[in-house]
Amino acid sequence: MRAGFATLSVLLLAATASAQSTVPRAADGKPDLTGVWQGGSTQAGNWEEANGGTGVGGTGRNPSAPVVLSSNDRPAGRAGAPYQDWAAKKVLEAFNRRGIDDPAAQCLPGGIPRSVILGLFPQQFVQTPTQIVILYEYMHTFRVIPINAKHPDDVIPSYMGNSVARWDGDTLVVDVTGFNDKTWLSGTGTFHSDALHITERYTRVSRDRINYEVTMEDPKVLTGPWRIESSLMLREGTRLQEYICAENNLDPARYEQLLKNGVKFTRE
Amino acid sequence: MKHAIAFVGLIAAALCLSGSSTSAHHSFGAEYDANKPITLTGVVTNIVRTNPHSHFSLDVKDAQGKVVNWKLEGYPPAVLFRTGWKKDVTMKPGDTITVFGWRARDGGNWAHSREITVPGGQKLFFGPPAGTGDGGNTPAVEVK
Repeated sequence: MRAGFATLSVLLLAATASAQSTVPRAADGKPDLTGVWQGGSTQAGNWEEANGGTGVGGTGRNPSAPVVLSSNDRPAGRAGAPYQDWAAKKVLEAFNRRGIDDPAAQCLPGGIPRSVILGLFPQQFVQTPTQIVILYEYMHTFRVIPINAKHPDDVIPSYMGNSVARWDGDTLVVDVTGFNDKTWLSGTGTFHSDALHITERYTRVSRDRINYEVTMEDPKVLTGPWRIESSLMLREGTRLQEYICAENNLDPARYEQLLKNGVKFTRE
Repeated sequence: MKHAIAFVGLIAAALCLSGSSTSAHHSFGAEYDANKPITLTGVVTNIVRTNPHSHFSLDVKDAQGKVVNWKLEGYPPAVLFRTGWKKDVTMKPGDTITVFGWRARDGGNWAHSREITVPGGQKLFFGPPAGTGDGGNTPAVEVK
């Protein structure tokens, strides 16, 4: 029995070591997060291989492939977000209006963690020893994240906030403050205040995957920390493309028409 | 027969690809009715590859033989590019195609396009599943 446990332990250690050994390292020994990644997915492979099912960006070649999760919907099994009662009612109201109040419908930035978790558009990490730059194709946003720096004293409230990072072992921990109150966090109607404070943990656990844990705190709106886990998958060969959302955005006008003409679209 | 025979009809809900949890730019679920699936066959008259959504138009013959121009909405150009669509190759004006999607709630000749069968028989997605962007099946919160 003891020999069995020992064998199991050795196997587990070997498996862990094997996964860690596939993690690319930068010259300073830290895990290198550089690359193009897809949020909300657990599928390895290039973009086309990983998105062959009925999910976002699917080609329909493999209808039984898993669906790529996204930011608009609540994934199966996720606990309810810890909103204060008055705020929960507001979130539900937006859900019942089928998301027409989404800031993204006005082509505004996705904010955090939505921009990280969504799966339809890739994001690119560029890592140096002193900073990490993240470029999001979705809404053309970016984050320049200094490592081992403090938040500036003169932060202007913004959609993507002000980010600083530090290494906790092999995990990049990003602290984000300085938000405005104009984005949705994760799911339809998930608003927040300018008191939002976000802590993100990026852990590259293998060549293909970064585990992503995010904790959202907002004493004006939430009853306590709201924690979500997701993952980013490496998409070799994918290039970020242009996404000029304001080019031909017909949807707000169409929503107005629906409301004006009394077309029933809301949930009960 | 250049204008292919139109097949306009409701498809059994069981065949519909709704219920998937995906995300696009914003609410397809407000504008289009997941309970009104539609399959159209016709001739492509125009393709507008723009952000945040692309559109194309399709001449479709109705039951009386009258040609009706439909407008269909779908993914932005970058998403189409990533999923195998080649501009001016995969689908061009003049091509006869079949598209499955969902009708606009306002009853007009608009639809949200999902799967397109292009000349040669290849099937590709031009847009996300029904209801995308409208919040899905469960709100983010439990309300007491």
